[in-house]
Order: sequence, then C-alpha cells, then structure tokens
Amino acid sequence: MAARVLARCLRSQQPWSGPRAGLGAGAWPRAAGTVTTSYCQRVCSRRPPLPGLTAQSYGPIVQTCRQYSDMPPLTLESIQERVLYVLKLYDKVNPDKLSVESHFMKDLGLDSLDQVEIIMAMEDEFGFEIPDAEAEKLMSPQEIVTYIADKRDIYE
Amino acid sequence: MAASTRPQVLALYRAMLKESGKFSSYSYRTFAIRKIRDTFRENKNMLNPEGIQVLMDKASENLEIIRRQVLIGHLYEAKKLVVESKELH
Repeated sequence: MAARVLARCLRSQQPWSGPRAGLGAGAWPRAAGTVTTSYCQRVCSRRPPLPGLTAQSYGPIVQTCRQYSDMPPLTLESIQERVLYVLKLYDKVNPDKLSVESHFMKDLGLDSLDQVEIIMAMEDEFGFEIPDAEAEKLMSPQEIVTYIADKRDIYE
Repeated sequence: MAASTRPQVLALYRAMLKESGKFSSYSYRTFAIRKIRDTFRENKNMLNPEGIQVLMDKASENLEIIRRQVLIGHLYEAKKLVVESKELH
C-alpha cells in the first residue's frame, strides 16, 4: 500500500503523466487517501502549468491516467507486408527478385549467415524471439509469415 | 576434440550479434556487429576442422569479452549521439 502511494506521487511528478482532470478516474481507487492527494497537489502546484492546461483543470482531486500504447491488429497481409519490407531493406537481397515464395538460398543466393541475420531482423520487427531450432527451418518469406501467424494465433 | 558443427557455428554467430546489439555506445555497437559479420564471412569457406575449432574458441572468448564490456558500458552510459536519434534501438 505504501509503495503504491509513493509510486503514484512519483508518477504525478513526471512531465509525461501530468494530471489530467476527468481522465483515468477510478484508477487505483484504494489509493485515494487524503495524504496522497494533498501531497500530489503540493507537488503539482509547484510546477509551472502546462501550456494547454488552465489552472482550473488541476481541480480539487488530482488524477493520474495510464497511457497504454496501442498496436493495430496483425493480419496475414500486414505480416506479409512487413516481412517483405524488412527483406527489401536487407542489403544483400535484390528487391526485384524477391517474392513471397522465393527461397533464401536457392533463389536469392544468400548463405546461412544471412539467413540468421534475416531471422534476427524479423525478431526485431515483430518483437519476439524465434528459437534456434525453428529459426533454421525458415527458408522463405512465406514460411516466416506462416510461423509468425501461428505464434500470434492469426488464422484469417 | 571434435570439430564444431554447422549449427554450433550459426548459434554462436547469432549469440554474438545479439550480445553486440546491447552495447549502449554507438561506436562499440556498430564496430562489433561489423567485425563479427566480416570475420564470419571471411572464414566461411574454411574446411580444416582444427582451424574451425581454433576460430570457434577465439569467438567464444570474444563473446565473453563482449558480454563483460556491454555490462561495463551500461555502468558508464553516455548521451546518445546525434546520428543515433533516428535509430529505433
């Protein structure tokens, strides 16, 4: 409980999560103790007001809001587009020869070291790890798309 | 001692690249990645098992060095360079 109150006070000091009236009401309802509120108010009143906010928007009760980032849902087409985009950026791939079905070694003339690098680029692009045993089986853009779709439970 | 197999070499290559990507300093990071890529490609046609083993031992030693240096680099982190501002990582 004490940790939560402290975290809340610290959060309200950070410029990116400044108080916004009306938003995020109900977040941490248990932490709405009087001590917390008054401390946050003191902290906030010491800060110069943000350009878009008037003094009124600070209000009697200071609320913090959580800001989550959002990601558009993955579809088979978007995965394929991103996979091909990453491959086009790889310097040894000829964008003219590249197609969804092309085999990295037979059609594109890459070696196994290039393939390792491509898989690492895919990990960076999609933000998850592909284990070694499975990485070495992925030999064409289509296989990568299928693998990623399987892992993320995307079927249409 | 048996010579290292192809999957072992590839796994080491992957591990080294991954570890080098963690350098906080731009110049160390780009140098390490460039050096690893170039050196593996330079020796990719080596057939002699003893030669491969010598290189693999050297690479494993260097992987440990990279690990330590990454850690030390994080202790003394500097500001990002201007050239890095558009990079994703």
